[in-house]
Amino acid sequence: MRTLATLALVCVAVVAQAAVVNRLPLGWGAGPDLVVAVVVAVALTASPGAAAGCGFAAGLAMDVLPPAEHALGRYALVLCVAAYTLALLHRNTGAAGPLGGRPSAWAVAGATAVTAAGVGLGYAAVGLLMGDARVTLAAVAVNVLVGTALTALVSPVATLPLLRLRGALSDGEYATVHGPVPGGW
Amino acid sequence: MFRDSTRSRLFLAVLVAAAVALLVLDARPGGDPVTSTARAGGELVFAPTAAGVGWAVAPAAALVDGLRQSPETAERVAELEQANAALESQLQAARIDERRAEQLDELLGLAGLGGYEIVPAQAVTRVTARGYADTVTIDVGTESGVRPDMTVVNGSGLVGRVTDAGPRTATVTLATDVGSAVGARLEATRKIGAVTGGSVPGGPDAELTLELFDLEAPVEPGDRVVTLGSHEGAPFVPGVPIGTVDEVVATPGSLSRLARLTPAVDFASLDVVGVVVRGPAQDPRDSVLPPRPEKGDQS
Repeated sequence: MRTLATLALVCVAVVAQAAVVNRLPLGWGAGPDLVVAVVVAVALTASPGAAAGCGFAAGLAMDVLPPAEHALGRYALVLCVAAYTLALLHRNTGAAGPLGGRPSAWAVAGATAVTAAGVGLGYAAVGLLMGDARVTLAAVAVNVLVGTALTALVSPVATLPLLRLRGALSDGEYATVHGPVPGGW
Repeated sequence: MFRDSTRSRLFLAVLVAAAVALLVLDARPGGDPVTSTARAGGELVFAPTAAGVGWAVAPAAALVDGLRQSPETAERVAELEQANAALESQLQAARIDERRAEQLDELLGLAGLGGYEIVPAQAVTRVTARGYADTVTIDVGTESGVRPDMTVVNGSGLVGRVTDAGPRTATVTLATDVGSAVGARLEATRKIGAVTGGSVPGGPDAELTLELFDLEAPVEPGDRVVTLGSHEGAPFVPGVPIGTVDEVVATPGSLSRLARLTPAVDFASLDVVGVVVRGPAQDPRDSVLPPRPEKGDQS
């Protein structure tokens, strides 16, 4: 049930990003990234392995959907590593996370902002390695800052509901366990 | 601090390896069956969704218009705008054709070239998820005869070129993209150069920068720039307006002259565009033109 709901919401986020957000005539290049916002919610409530899988799948979906302006796998790589890292950090530092108490919107927005910045920088780094002429210092600075700010802004409507949903649907006995949870998502 | 199971790490390693493999596959020049199949699959989802979103947001857009005018007027204006865009595209095609015919008339005494065929399309996306590339998605694809490396124009001038085409959508790299370079010609003096998206090192901060290969060429603000045209009309057909010279920069010791261009097309409000799907039926340029050293095949 939880897995199904998560899958459905991630799919909705990916399609909404490609068909709605990318359609907005935003003057400053980058827009809010719903996919990052949703993957953060999954990473904060799943095991690192599951988070990595979710990040990879969502990133690959974004790579596959038009416009085809970057190489397939670029976003998948970055999101996969970002989701894994976030889940690992969350698990192992034992932060008072969504599995325990109810997270504040500020904490979630902060986690989303940090992840969005990391994803932005990682995406630029992959571009740099692949010799993408568009990755210049000025472009990276603008895109990462604008993208991070906008993504943090949408996190209350994208990350938080999914987080609450996953919290509500989770099995009670694992709800307060820190460390690798047996089973899947 | 970073405890994790071996299985989870192995899973991550497999995913990273898969992503890198895909990157390498897709970054290689030329098509790849795996990645093009994947993109075609993605488009199956995207095309109907985008059409649905377009249908769904149409009332909202109409509402915004209606706040300013009465609904009937908005409808009528939209209708007329569409008709106007279609007519302008046709006129553009006629102009390209005419210009081409003129040139060949002068050079070869040859007339009666085949016309350009334009497929009208609508720009579906305007920004990309991460904002680096200046690309738009349009709602026509290989089913309408669109192939990569075709010129995209609208009523005002050059929009860009098709870089990727799926069955029902295509990705257009705009002329303002940093990776875009268009062979260009000054309208009055016929001097050639290249128009690159963004700024070039040493050049002015601009959306489009013109690099003239002739240092002596007279160029002034207000001069208009058109495409030079490429071999076989791909990726750029000749004669399409690119922009107007805004400011000329004198760089001492430089091998070329730089100028800032104001694009002919308003890239912020791209809507109806046309893809030039067919150039002249026969391109006699290669067989009849004497080789001219300064006129390479710019693309």
